[in-house]
Amino acid sequence: MDLASFITHLVGALSTASSLFIVAAGLTLVFGALRLINLAHGSFYMYGAFLATSLVAWSAHTGLWIALVASPLLAAGMGVVVEVGVLRRLYAREHLTQLLATFALLLIFADLALRFWGKGVRSVSPPPIVQGNVHLAGAPVPLYDLVIIGAAVIVGASLWLLLSHTTLGWKIRAVVDDPEVLAASGVNVRMLYTGVFALGALLAGLSGVIIAPQQAVEPGMDAQIIVAAFIVAVIGGLGSITGAAIGALVIGIVETVGASWAPSWASTFIYLLMILVLAVRPWGLLGTPER
Amino acid sequence: MYGPPGVDVGDTADESVSTGDGSARLSGRAELVPRLLVPIVLVVVMAALAFLLSDNVLLTLQEVLALAVFATATNLLLGQAGLVSFGQAVFYGLGAYTVALGWLHWQLPFWATFVMAPVLGALVAVPIGLVALRARRLYFALSTLAFSELAYQLAESRYDFTKGANGVFGTFVPTSLTFPRTGYLFVLAVTVVSLLLLWKVNHSPFGLVLRAIRENRDRMQALGVNVYLHQLIAFVISGAFCALAGAMFVVFSQSSYPELLDWTTSGEPIFMAVIGGMGTFLGPAVGAFIYQFGHDELVRYVSDWQLVLGAVLLAIVMFWPEGLLGGLGRLGKILRKRGGNR
Repeated sequence: MDLASFITHLVGALSTASSLFIVAAGLTLVFGALRLINLAHGSFYMYGAFLATSLVAWSAHTGLWIALVASPLLAAGMGVVVEVGVLRRLYAREHLTQLLATFALLLIFADLALRFWGKGVRSVSPPPIVQGNVHLAGAPVPLYDLVIIGAAVIVGASLWLLLSHTTLGWKIRAVVDDPEVLAASGVNVRMLYTGVFALGALLAGLSGVIIAPQQAVEPGMDAQIIVAAFIVAVIGGLGSITGAAIGALVIGIVETVGASWAPSWASTFIYLLMILVLAVRPWGLLGTPER
Repeated sequence: MYGPPGVDVGDTADESVSTGDGSARLSGRAELVPRLLVPIVLVVVMAALAFLLSDNVLLTLQEVLALAVFATATNLLLGQAGLVSFGQAVFYGLGAYTVALGWLHWQLPFWATFVMAPVLGALVAVPIGLVALRARRLYFALSTLAFSELAYQLAESRYDFTKGANGVFGTFVPTSLTFPRTGYLFVLAVTVVSLLLLWKVNHSPFGLVLRAIRENRDRMQALGVNVYLHQLIAFVISGAFCALAGAMFVVFSQSSYPELLDWTTSGEPIFMAVIGGMGTFLGPAVGAFIYQFGHDELVRYVSDWQLVLGAVLLAIVMFWPEGLLGGLGRLGKILRKRGGNR
């Protein structure tokens, strides 16, 4: 493989990894603070993407830029409604209850999306400024791939800053260990839960917009992405943002290499890899064993 | 079941532990007759239905019975062992594919593949259980989900062997079973035997140990119980019966396709168990009836079947976590207590 095609493949792998990371980061953030697996995370992502297609249909030039703000806000709003309306009442109950509740929400949101947007496949093209290819060391690279990678870096860096360098960050990290002590020290834990859940949803909505120009936007993408996001988050270790980044990189590379060597086996490799990781470290690479 | 003792499930769990105890102590024919009466009447009524109902309803009932076995077998893990598996569709699909592919590639007769299905299910459950049971709680749920997706991907991408996304269609079901009535009676017979066997498992000392592990894993470990092995055996038994359910489903569908292996299919028996009540033995089977008939009726009038299903599930999970039979059981208890006080 010469340098040019290596670079093309590398950028492809990084772009796949980046879009997976943004989705998985929200999922793992919520798990890290709330110990909750949110199956409806994919719904927020899908609504973000669908809203982006509607806005582009309404205004071809500015639609996607508006969506970049509107979709995450819509998703965050849905997140607040879900947390306050449903999940808040279930924290005292077992994990299965919460898992089933979010599964039920996934079904509800999927059918509502059919009502709003129909069954058809929708697509949008990237804004004109970031269309086409650029040449990196003689290799043609889609400009939009670089945008996605840039977005993932920004999201990753912001989350890192938030979690390790702000008071809010240490509250988020502390709440999972001892919510009572945190509440006793004057933190509004209920608000914190709502906020973290909304932030996770916001990231899902954001990833929906960012991915929309690259993929077919259609019903069923919610259940699809949730499985992909789980694989990333589980390989890296649920609750760890760095783990999600590593998991996304691993999946991005395996998917790209697999697609060029043995296309029909590519997705099988990914599941085998996840099972292998779980067999050796059942709590993921950077996760901690469940007590 | 998980973590801190659940407010609601904890109660039904105590109940199931005590009935397990009680059945061992029960003696005397006077106690035995009413205990046997209900299941016998149920079976007789179900068999009589074969001659009363229309062909369409009988066909639906075939599917319902397959799902009832599927749900009851899944509930061995869910309700008894406290293990949430999102991977039971692996075995369900495996059972269906055993019949279909056995016919397609090796012209094996239906009866042979039908018997092979649970055996294969048990064999495949061993390695999956060995890996998945290393993880606990949510991680167990997620690794079983991964196995479900792996199976789905394999069935979809290995076109030469499985016919890919199209699925396998053919005349692998004997002609005698393609009539709604005979097919229904056959599936009913298999269901009755399966549920009896699973009931035996639930009410055996083994079932009691499973429930005890669910309630307090550390204590059972300290008592010298091999937790991993007990859960593995439960996983294998469940896998075998889920595969049998898949083979039963083929009598109805006369086809096998990748969606049978998908993780959302794994969610269905969990739904059914939750609707009917996973703390009870017959709850999941009752849930299967409600789920499938609800589905068939609803899709006729409304397009938003999933919306209704999701809303019902959400309502049950939030406000009625014992499910239908669990709730009825508690109601019966309260009424009996009142009657006794008078």
